[in-house]
Amino acid sequence: MARKADFKRFEGLGIQNLGVSANLTFSQQTFAESLKLPYPLLSDFPERKVIRSYGVLNEKTMTANRAFFLVDPQGIVRKKWIIENGTTTVVYGDRLLPEILEVIGKR
Amino acid sequence: MVPIVTRWLLALCLIGVAGRTVNAEPLAPLLKTLDLRGYPERAAVPAFSGGTLEGHRLSMADHRGKVIVLNFWATWCVECRSEMPALERLQREFAPRGFAVLGVNVRENKDVIARYVKQLGLTFPVVLDPDGKINVLYGVIGLPATFVVGRDGRAIAFAIGPRDWYGAAGRALMQALLDEPAPGPGVR
Repeated sequence: MARKADFKRFEGLGIQNLGVSANLTFSQQTFAESLKLPYPLLSDFPERKVIRSYGVLNEKTMTANRAFFLVDPQGIVRKKWIIENGTTTVVYGDRLLPEILEVIGKR
Repeated sequence: MVPIVTRWLLALCLIGVAGRTVNAEPLAPLLKTLDLRGYPERAAVPAFSGGTLEGHRLSMADHRGKVIVLNFWATWCVECRSEMPALERLQREFAPRGFAVLGVNVRENKDVIARYVKQLGLTFPVVLDPDGKINVLYGVIGLPATFVVGRDGRAIAFAIGPRDWYGAAGRALMQALLDEPAPGPGVR
């Protein structure tokens, strides 16, 4: 899980990582424990309101497409990364970080 | 919009993905010895129904009132194989008291599973999960994964990786759970 490895780097920039999925909290707990995730996961089941409002709900599977959203302290989405459906490529912080630094003005 | 006002936020949408867990009640020392993750409050287990090797349908509800050890496994999983004999021994010793081991095989061919079950002499039911739906429902991403469920149908703890289920702590845990009262009629 890329975000786990990058967690400290994001934390150092004052960025809170949150994971959102359409899974039950029960399954998220197993998932989080399996990976020893250092940040919270939020269940958007069954309504999928957050996932839908961010425009990443796959209506066929009713799951979230892989995506990242950078939200500023005022609650404004400043950048998003939508990962193509079916892509299993791990997205490392190395890819996101330069763009994040640019957005938050710490380059 | 998610109301995060003091910090930047990187929200991830994940296809499969919780919360913190702590050890629970007087069972805590046993859970600790077995290195099990306890649920802070007993958690309702996701309902499922699946076909067995014998061609029957099996669901958690069929075993209501029993202590259940729900074990996700596969034949290629070396660590799963190491704990199978202990699970089988638990099943043989405690089944008469209202206990069941339920195996969930993840995404394998029925013939392959049948050969393995015969080879290891397993007598507990094995549910087939050819498309991994039960696997996803429980959030299992590594094998073996095992959930311990009380007589009230609620999960007490889970383990990622193999455990000595038939060791002193494992057996004491099952004894303690079997000593708990079964829920009354109509109580899930």
